[in-house]
Amino acid sequence: MNTTPEIMIAFNLDRALKLLSGEKSAPLAGGTDLVPGIHQQAKRFAAIERLVDITRIPELKQVNVKNSGTTIGAGVTFSEILTHPRLGSEYPLLTKAAATIGSVQIRNRATIAGNFVNNAPCADSVPPLLVYDAIVRICSLKKSREIPLQEFLLKPYKTQLQTGELVTEIFLPPPPQNFGGDFYKLGRRRGVAISRITLALLLQTEKKKISGLRIAAGAVTPIGRRFYDIEHQYVGTEISAAGLKFLAVNVGKAILEETGWRWSSPYKLPVTQQIVYQILCKLT
Amino acid sequence: MPKKSFNIIGKPVIREDGYEKVTGSSPFADDINFPGQLYGVMIRLPLAHAEIKKIDYSAIRGNKLIKAICDTSDIPGSRKIGVVRWDQPVFCSEKIVTPGDVVAMLLGESEQELHTLKTRIKFSARKLPVLTDPSQALASTAPLIHPELKSNLIVHHPLRKGNVEKGFANSDFILEQTYTTSAVEHAYLETETVVARLFPGRRGIHIIGSIQNPFTTRRLVAAVLDWPLTKVQVEQATLGGSFGGKDDLMNILAARAAIGALKTAKPVKIRYHREESILESYKRHPYRMHYKVGYNKDGRIIAMKIDILADGGAYASMSPFVTWRTVVQATGPYDIEHVWTDVRAVYTNNPYTGAMRGFGSPQPIFAQESLMDEIAVRLNISPPEIRRINALRSGSVTATSQKLKEHDVNLIPVLQEALKKSSFIKKWQKNLKDNPVQDWIDLSHTKTGILHPDQFRERKEVYRKGIGLALSLRGCSLGAEGIDAAAAYLSVQPDGSVYLMCGLAENGQGLRTTFSLIVAEVLGIDPDQIYYLDYQTRSIPDSGPTVASRSTLMGGGAVKNAAEQVRERLENQLRKYWRIPKNTQFHFRKNKIRARGSKPLKISFSDLCQLAYSQGINLAALGWYPGPQVHWDEATGQGPAYFTYVYGCQVAEITLNMTTGEVYLDRVTAVHDPGKVINLLGAQGQVYGGVTQGAGYGLWEQINAMEGQIMELNFDQYLIPTSKDIGEIIPVFLEGRDKYGPWGAKSLGEPTLELTAPAIANAIRNASGQRFFNLPLNLEELILRRKLRPEDLTRGSER
Repeated sequence: MNTTPEIMIAFNLDRALKLLSGEKSAPLAGGTDLVPGIHQQAKRFAAIERLVDITRIPELKQVNVKNSGTTIGAGVTFSEILTHPRLGSEYPLLTKAAATIGSVQIRNRATIAGNFVNNAPCADSVPPLLVYDAIVRICSLKKSREIPLQEFLLKPYKTQLQTGELVTEIFLPPPPQNFGGDFYKLGRRRGVAISRITLALLLQTEKKKISGLRIAAGAVTPIGRRFYDIEHQYVGTEISAAGLKFLAVNVGKAILEETGWRWSSPYKLPVTQQIVYQILCKLT
Repeated sequence: MPKKSFNIIGKPVIREDGYEKVTGSSPFADDINFPGQLYGVMIRLPLAHAEIKKIDYSAIRGNKLIKAICDTSDIPGSRKIGVVRWDQPVFCSEKIVTPGDVVAMLLGESEQELHTLKTRIKFSARKLPVLTDPSQALASTAPLIHPELKSNLIVHHPLRKGNVEKGFANSDFILEQTYTTSAVEHAYLETETVVARLFPGRRGIHIIGSIQNPFTTRRLVAAVLDWPLTKVQVEQATLGGSFGGKDDLMNILAARAAIGALKTAKPVKIRYHREESILESYKRHPYRMHYKVGYNKDGRIIAMKIDILADGGAYASMSPFVTWRTVVQATGPYDIEHVWTDVRAVYTNNPYTGAMRGFGSPQPIFAQESLMDEIAVRLNISPPEIRRINALRSGSVTATSQKLKEHDVNLIPVLQEALKKSSFIKKWQKNLKDNPVQDWIDLSHTKTGILHPDQFRERKEVYRKGIGLALSLRGCSLGAEGIDAAAAYLSVQPDGSVYLMCGLAENGQGLRTTFSLIVAEVLGIDPDQIYYLDYQTRSIPDSGPTVASRSTLMGGGAVKNAAEQVRERLENQLRKYWRIPKNTQFHFRKNKIRARGSKPLKISFSDLCQLAYSQGINLAALGWYPGPQVHWDEATGQGPAYFTYVYGCQVAEITLNMTTGEVYLDRVTAVHDPGKVINLLGAQGQVYGGVTQGAGYGLWEQINAMEGQIMELNFDQYLIPTSKDIGEIIPVFLEGRDKYGPWGAKSLGEPTLELTAPAIANAIRNASGQRFFNLPLNLEELILRRKLRPEDLTRGSER
């Protein structure tokens, strides 16, 4: 068993960044991934010697919904997202995903940034954040920077986050107008379920044609991702049952190409195509 | 004592430990600590089958954090133990036969340091071929798990009735099908914990822990220490769940802790974390069941030939008894003239399997109740109809040639009640009409995973309703497994308050409340006046194990006997005191005793107790309830296997997602004849829990072992149902009469679990037109007709 890391509490952002500037420090928010991971002796947490509790930093707990876009503090919990008066109407796919995460107790602790900073493939909020074109704001003692979420996520359990950096905020551009959308999650059970498939779709139609399309998936690809090629390919096409089936098949093929044939593919691949098709039918 | 109306029996009563349990204030075994206590940490080798050459402790020997290292050389008595066959070493010294095996134990004050230090231990071992497929266990080429036993066969139970070949020849149709079930974990919330400490002057050893069967623990610890039974005092701490699972492993842990305490003269605690618990504890047996059935056009089943293979894993444990219940009940609750059954259990290198709620019944009921619906489909009759045609009735003869008599054989009544309560026929017919069977999308052979345009399902075709039922009879208590008797101790105090204790243990099922109600009924007092004593093996006679849904029946019988002894003495005293005739009868009700008859004589219970004490009357009694004789012919599987039976019928209503294979359990109507219900709330609780556990067995739960190594070592991967996964559960009790048990109270705990999975499977058949043969009926089973599993044991989160 590893020696237990020391835990420091930061009450403001500067202090947190100072404490995090060392090689072997990591931020601790909800801890719903980190703490079990440390108990499991996960390699990705093995080097941590200091945990910096960032749950009491006011700057990280803000939600600001404006016409120019929305910022969600990194330390905002999923319960807070669910009870926010405006997020649900502005970004319904995000709140629908938030409602499926873990259980009430987990949602009371787990934070939005915590869901993606470790880049687990099954992070439920990632597909909605991707279709809303989320941008990640990152700070360190020296500088701050902004990166689109899709670029921030590198590969399973790896992101662009550097030593000394902390995700402070997520910026969501104003939601695209006149888009319908849906979030879908398949777990093995209804509560406290790790996702097997997650999908987020935004669709805009005009005169029986697809005029806007955004698709993202999680748990079926090594990390959550958008399908930009398919989106471009289908914007401007006529809506037909056959066309939507081919769109779904193309999503399946893209997943297969990216993920390869895995033990779970015989189930996940066909079911994902079915769900994509059914959601598209619902939205058209 | 014939009773027409009851004071308290049958009413809903909140269990006596309910408040403590809900508020978390009950002291569990891990809350119990002694000064100077050491922790025991187990040492395992990451192997499934190997000959141990050397364990090298040189890297840690002399480390001051280690107070002692215990292994088999520290054992003064028996080095192997077991509940039936003594094949399981307390510490392995020659061979590893499954990955849970323990070779030694480190003792020290810091559990965490010991966990770090144990990684420095080196070993050399010669790997042996690993046997994981039970169907290969009896092949001449199979590696022998226990070479000294010369065979991997643990047990073979044959049953021969009539002439099965003649029966098949006389049948209009023959149907053959094979069903399988998975190993599953008990999933008790509290993991294994035990503390052992020497009494001063080495007068004995005190063991306290999360122990299901303290007398079994006592017997085995005494054998390991080579001490008399009297010197081993086993006490039960509040149990955080058992479901049959706190037996063999707890006995071994108690023995290890006792060895440690003996070696160091300090208290030793062993407590398992979840991964260790799932790794070393035993599971429910996976079965492979082949059924061949001969039946006639009119629905009558003529002959049944059954071949069942159970994976016993590395140790015999309860396999001989688990498979014995299977052989008795494998034909289900049906009257069949010609039966030929073989049930075998074999050794493999898989995790060992033993007792779990159901005990050899959930497996065959899944097969045989699925089969009944398949026969009904082929004859174009309804599920209830095929069962009515073949059901056992009063005076019917079972597969073991036992005539059912002297109790209400309520099989058809529970079926009728379940049909009525669930509107079964109406729903079943509507579903058949609404659910086209020809549109099932078969993806079981897809190679690419890419759908063909005609394999897509439209949104309106996604959800289907289904309803299904399952029916069972269950032999009560141990039957011909063993000696069946129980004791209870009752001591009435001068103020009318009462001490009570029974030789059967409170494993969370609520027996303390049940037993208190029985005493309250007999003595006409309030259950709050009863102080239930903590369970200690030195304070009560050995009453056998707390298993087989026998507590209410056997323990309740003993409790009632003790209360009646005291009541009789009180009545005699009253007759003298009031100078009334010897045949005067009394009412004991609401803390008052009244003489029946013309004179209005009345006394309070406490005054009567005071009076009796002042007259030197003994108000303490030891109750005893011996089970009647049963017997069994091993060679033919014939005989009166159990002295009485209970009957149950469950109806499951589901919504099936045809796209994903998800099954939503909308409603379960559970109709049971448990005999007389003692505590209505307790009985309902049994149904809620049993149905939920049965649904887990049907839809989600599965222990996968890869080369003997379990993949699901915690609840992130081993999925039990949550409250969101289970719909409404409707318990219904149909109380049959019986001459056994307190006022005819019998069994309920296990019947509630065994019916749910087959009822769900039959509901899926009703929804989809498809039969699924392999539990659990999870997402992949429904869509692909097979299970998928990862290729390695690493969890993503561990990376």
